[in-house]
Amino acid sequence: MIPELESFKMPILSLVTLTPALGALLLTLIDRNNKALIRQIALMVSFLGLLFSLIMVGNFDATVGTMQMEENLPWIESLGISYHLGVDGFSVLLILLTSFSMPFVFLSTWKAVDSRVKEFHIALLLLQTGMIGAFVALDLILFYLFYEAMLVPMYLIIGIWGGKDRVYAALKFFIYTMVGSLFMFLAILYLYNHAGTFDLPLLLERLRTTNPLDGTQQFWLFLAFALSFAIKVPLFPLHTWLPDAHVQAPTAGSVVLAGVLLKMGTYGLLRFAIPLFPEAAMDLREEFCWLAVTGIIFGACMALVQTDIKKLIAYSSVSHLGFVVLACFMNDVESLTGAILQMVNHGLSTGMLFLMIGIIYERRHTRELADYGGLAGVVPVYSVFFIIAVLSSIGLPGLNGFVGEFLILFGAFRADAVWGILAASGVVLGALYMLKMTKMFLFGPLVHDANRNVQDLQTREILYLSPFVIMMVWLGLYPSTFTKLVQPTLSLYVQMLQN
Amino acid sequence: MEPLTLSKAEILAVLPAGALFVTGLIQLLSDLGDPNKTSRQEKTHLAMIGATGALVALASLFVQGTAASTGELYAGAMTDDLFGRLGAGVIIVTSLFCTLMAGGYLSSSGNNRAEFHALVSFSAGAMVLLCQSTNLVSMFVAIETLSLAVYVLAGFFRQQKAASEGAFKYFVMGAFSSGFLLLGMAIIYGLSGASLSFSAIAAAGASDDALFAVGALLVLIGFAFKVGVVPFHSWVPDVYQGAPTLAVGWMAVAVKASSFFALCRFLYHTGGGAYMDQILIALSIVTMILGNLAALNQQSLKRMLAYSGIAHSGYLMIPLIVALSGNDILIGASLPFYLCAYAGTTLAAFGVLTALSKATDKDQLGDLNGLAKSRPLLALGFTVALISLAGIPLTAGFIGKLMIFSDAIGAGFVQLAVIGILTSLVSVYYYLRPIVAMWFRDPRSSFDLIPAPWGVQFTVGACGIATIVFGIFPDWLVELSRISVETILG
Repeated sequence: MIPELESFKMPILSLVTLTPALGALLLTLIDRNNKALIRQIALMVSFLGLLFSLIMVGNFDATVGTMQMEENLPWIESLGISYHLGVDGFSVLLILLTSFSMPFVFLSTWKAVDSRVKEFHIALLLLQTGMIGAFVALDLILFYLFYEAMLVPMYLIIGIWGGKDRVYAALKFFIYTMVGSLFMFLAILYLYNHAGTFDLPLLLERLRTTNPLDGTQQFWLFLAFALSFAIKVPLFPLHTWLPDAHVQAPTAGSVVLAGVLLKMGTYGLLRFAIPLFPEAAMDLREEFCWLAVTGIIFGACMALVQTDIKKLIAYSSVSHLGFVVLACFMNDVESLTGAILQMVNHGLSTGMLFLMIGIIYERRHTRELADYGGLAGVVPVYSVFFIIAVLSSIGLPGLNGFVGEFLILFGAFRADAVWGILAASGVVLGALYMLKMTKMFLFGPLVHDANRNVQDLQTREILYLSPFVIMMVWLGLYPSTFTKLVQPTLSLYVQMLQN
Repeated sequence: MEPLTLSKAEILAVLPAGALFVTGLIQLLSDLGDPNKTSRQEKTHLAMIGATGALVALASLFVQGTAASTGELYAGAMTDDLFGRLGAGVIIVTSLFCTLMAGGYLSSSGNNRAEFHALVSFSAGAMVLLCQSTNLVSMFVAIETLSLAVYVLAGFFRQQKAASEGAFKYFVMGAFSSGFLLLGMAIIYGLSGASLSFSAIAAAGASDDALFAVGALLVLIGFAFKVGVVPFHSWVPDVYQGAPTLAVGWMAVAVKASSFFALCRFLYHTGGGAYMDQILIALSIVTMILGNLAALNQQSLKRMLAYSGIAHSGYLMIPLIVALSGNDILIGASLPFYLCAYAGTTLAAFGVLTALSKATDKDQLGDLNGLAKSRPLLALGFTVALISLAGIPLTAGFIGKLMIFSDAIGAGFVQLAVIGILTSLVSVYYYLRPIVAMWFRDPRSSFDLIPAPWGVQFTVGACGIATIVFGIFPDWLVELSRISVETILG
């Protein structure tokens, strides 16, 4: 707690959310040929965003489980839409993760993106505002707005700066996401007409007391919300947009997509779909858990046979987020803690993996595993960083991945041993495909001559990779720094669901 | 017979339309004999002065009158209420923008006739009257006047085959639909004891009569032709393709807006008789589905926008249904808002097409390739317009859709909202295609875009900014449209 700030009543959440958008506005004034200045400004803005979110975490009261630092202003009064922001245990780490990743994403693009630099940075900054805004919004329309606001910049990032089939991938991404969000939009409007408010806390209150929904209404509304979030996660079998989007997106796009955007789905389940319609969620729990488990195994099996590194990691995301979805439907504090930790972990490890693939792609212009091999001797520093990321991804004890996965598996076993066993086999498969990939990528004989002169990591690259490593170790060794932020909220949430 | 006396309110109420009619006449007279007597700039300036004058006259209505209806003027032929003023405002502002864009467009096609401006002025005047009309005769006269002007506009490039074909088709269909309209009016007139004004018709209490329903249906069909509701839409794509791009923009915005304003007033007053709600629901569903599906595979942007306009007519019928459902809280206030949002975005879209098609009437999707590189601001404006038409947040189009679908759900028409959402999803696909072409593709090698005249740039920019501003701060316009609809219900 920082007392001065408390008394000053700084609109800290607005600052965290809107700083990037203001930065984007500033960038529009800069001459497009002054690429260096554009890059520096964007980087500074993102660091400013990180600073604000650190202040937010500093102000965050870890003993309270309710909404904090709320800002509630009327916005479109004639339609009952308010500018209502707030943060609690569900969102605090995800906001931190977003603001933490962005500066390093910007650093990573300094060489990779050289065309339309100005537009690229504007799109990324707007994307950041969209992501953080979606995490802090407590008004359903405001949430929907930020949720959609992520869509357009990401669409442009894939479509303009992406690979060969970028137009197809971008369109697929857009249409898939739009399908889900439009149904959610309809459900939001239905809720408004039912309970007379878009405000989430008020809505939760009214649905429980004055305006309860009947079973059929709950069922359809839950499906509408869950469909939107399941596409975003992506939950098997709605995942087919993800490999295309990841492979075609530029590095920065992949990092943001894997690091933050996918979490929007699981966050949405926890924040909106399940608490708003708890009975429907309970009724459909088995179906969702089975889909999640299928996704874990399916994603892992698909990852095993990929030859394109990016595609492999894309499928590993399907597998990893299956764990999170599984945990979202276990209503106990441990599993939910695991879910939130796993969201952060996946953001860190997969984000870092994509960054590292981006680095090697800049040097060799290929992502085919067969084109590599024996890199460990050529680029030792790179290899060390890469292996750390891989180990974090497969959940080695001592690194971040372990804690979350352990908690989730624990909860799954308690709920149903079959889910537990199947999910655990996903962990084994995860180790298998990751290590197989590492072997083909870094070790073995150096067959291709082109790989002999690959440059090792530069200072800039080490600079933006190290924070990820630090966070991985921190989360692995002292997870309680982070879990204690989320637990009060989770206990309240579980209590609320049980009533 | 009483001597003809005009009250101050009566004089004020016709001033906006009067200013436009007078401007049109002056245009024609100044051009008499030799089209090159006055230069292109002079013609544009004259049209601008006329439209501005109409706007000033409209503003004076706001200053003089109150928001509530000033009662029946001209023995019930027209009124001056907020609803009519809002419609008039949309039309006059649209005509102002069209005039701004017209100068460069006409000169590049080697045409310097004053008729274009005159016809826009005449039709704008008639549209303003249509928005204000409150009886059958004034409504019919206004519709016919505007239609005649727009028929000629559609065939303005008379040397071109497509233009003549489109205009002829439009004329035949339009005349046909006027027949329906008139027949419907005659039936209603007869049934309600020879009353002409909407309020007298409503008071006559004949609306339960089955024949009244037939009359109202015929009137609806007449309007359905004008706004392009399926199955009365077949003329729209052909006319849009053949007509001058600018005239299409004018038709797409102003004809549709004024017709909807008039239809809304007619239905709200008379109730539309039995079955009207079911008929509207059926038409709305068919229009939303077919309009959006047909737009999917259009290579010509004009045809695409034609079908998209048809689809939007389907959405615009939802507020009418909501209003007729008799729900006191929901009065279909989304209609004026949606029309304003639609007007702004459609104007921006056609503005870009005007710039593209200046010399050669390019309107293929491929002609947009790489526009973001050659003309970033124009591309940005077009993108905003398309995003708004698709109903993506932070645009006025989103707020409009939000209001329409929310009202539909509130009035218990969940099926309409579901179909509306599904079809907007379809629309996202075809609205994205121009965006893909502009931003993701490289310009064609033969790509040589004539610099966009400032009128087009200004229009696209202003409409784009307005779309965003009303997407973020719609309160004022939402309230305005709500009050305006309340005024016609009294």
